[in-house]
Amino acid sequence: TLCSFLLSSWLPQMVPFRGSHWQSSLLAFRASLPVRAQPKKKKKVDVKREQAQKDRMKKKIKKLEKAAPEMIPIEDFITPLKYSDSKRVRNLPPLTSEETERRVLLMKKWCLFKQKQDQAEKAAIQTLVEAQQEALKELRLESEELYQAAIRRDEGLFPFEREGPNYTPPLPGYDPPEGKCIDITKVYTQ
Amino acid sequence: IELEKSHYSDHEMRKLEEEEQLRRRKESVYDDDEAPGKTVIMAQDLEDKWEQRLLQFKAAPRVTDADKNNNRTSLNRKLDSNLMLLVKQKIGDQELWLLPQAEWQPGETLRGTAERAMATFLGDHIQAKILGNAPYGIYKYKFPRAIRTEDNVGAKVFFFKAFLQSSDLSQAELKEDYLWVTKDELGDYLKSEYLKKVNRFLLD
Repeated sequence: TLCSFLLSSWLPQMVPFRGSHWQSSLLAFRASLPVRAQPKKKKKVDVKREQAQKDRMKKKIKKLEKAAPEMIPIEDFITPLKYSDSKRVRNLPPLTSEETERRVLLMKKWCLFKQKQDQAEKAAIQTLVEAQQEALKELRLESEELYQAAIRRDEGLFPFEREGPNYTPPLPGYDPPEGKCIDITKVYTQ
Repeated sequence: IELEKSHYSDHEMRKLEEEEQLRRRKESVYDDDEAPGKTVIMAQDLEDKWEQRLLQFKAAPRVTDADKNNNRTSLNRKLDSNLMLLVKQKIGDQELWLLPQAEWQPGETLRGTAERAMATFLGDHIQAKILGNAPYGIYKYKFPRAIRTEDNVGAKVFFFKAFLQSSDLSQAELKEDYLWVTKDELGDYLKSEYLKKVNRFLLD
């Protein structure tokens, strides 16, 4: 195919007209892909360029991955700046000494009440445990098999869910007002 | 409302600003270029509206009808404390008020016996959760001499605790007399020895 190139530059008029100058002879098909210097350069440079680009990207990715992951801010612990405005501070009358007295005495009574409550709870739990131990002892005396069955862990017990008590019982036939709840919490990904 | 350790909220700021605006409008002679269409709803109006809504709502009373009539067979009484089921059962030749019990059949665990007792007294489709495999308490008693044989001198009654999930007992077939009682009212029905043992594992 090199000779075809030479022929076309030397004897442009003598050679009969060909459809395209890539055909080496009138009868033969195009033997190979068009061979010229420039397309070869394009391909090499392209490949090289693309590879260089890929390497750069990979390096960047590696750098990012090596860097420590950013901490997710806990929204509850950061007070938004708009709430530290001085305009927002309330102006209340100062506390009287009687009020402080009353509060201190109330706190003492509350402490005492809570202590009694806690002690009573602990005593109740103690009697509960004792009663159960006694029951298990008696059961063991009765039959070992039943005792083993009783000691076994109850898988279906946890997670234990129970609805807490409300202040007033539910109204029969109450139709709660309709509304839509749109969740605007921000979700962070590491 | 917590006044001492708090700042003004958005709603309160809005209210204060609108009060300021109103005051300024009253004092100085303003041409109404701030057309009234701007602040159609004031914060104060909103508060009044919410107040009205609250007053319109009536919650159900805590003291139900069953409390007033002292009808101890309904579950709708004493809503602020726990209720226990008591059944009248025939033991030997005595009719006694007891916590529902069933005799243990060989081949089933104690918890199975408890479930069977629940099924017999409350119907098959009852939604109750038994807490754990182990018994909570025990009551031993000896049979009167007439019934005693060589092996069976007495009986041991093991107690289990269970929570009723649904308060819908319309399907229950409670044939004999039954009562729902609180811990304090147990003393009216149970015998002293039995009561002593039962009280140990019941929390109010």
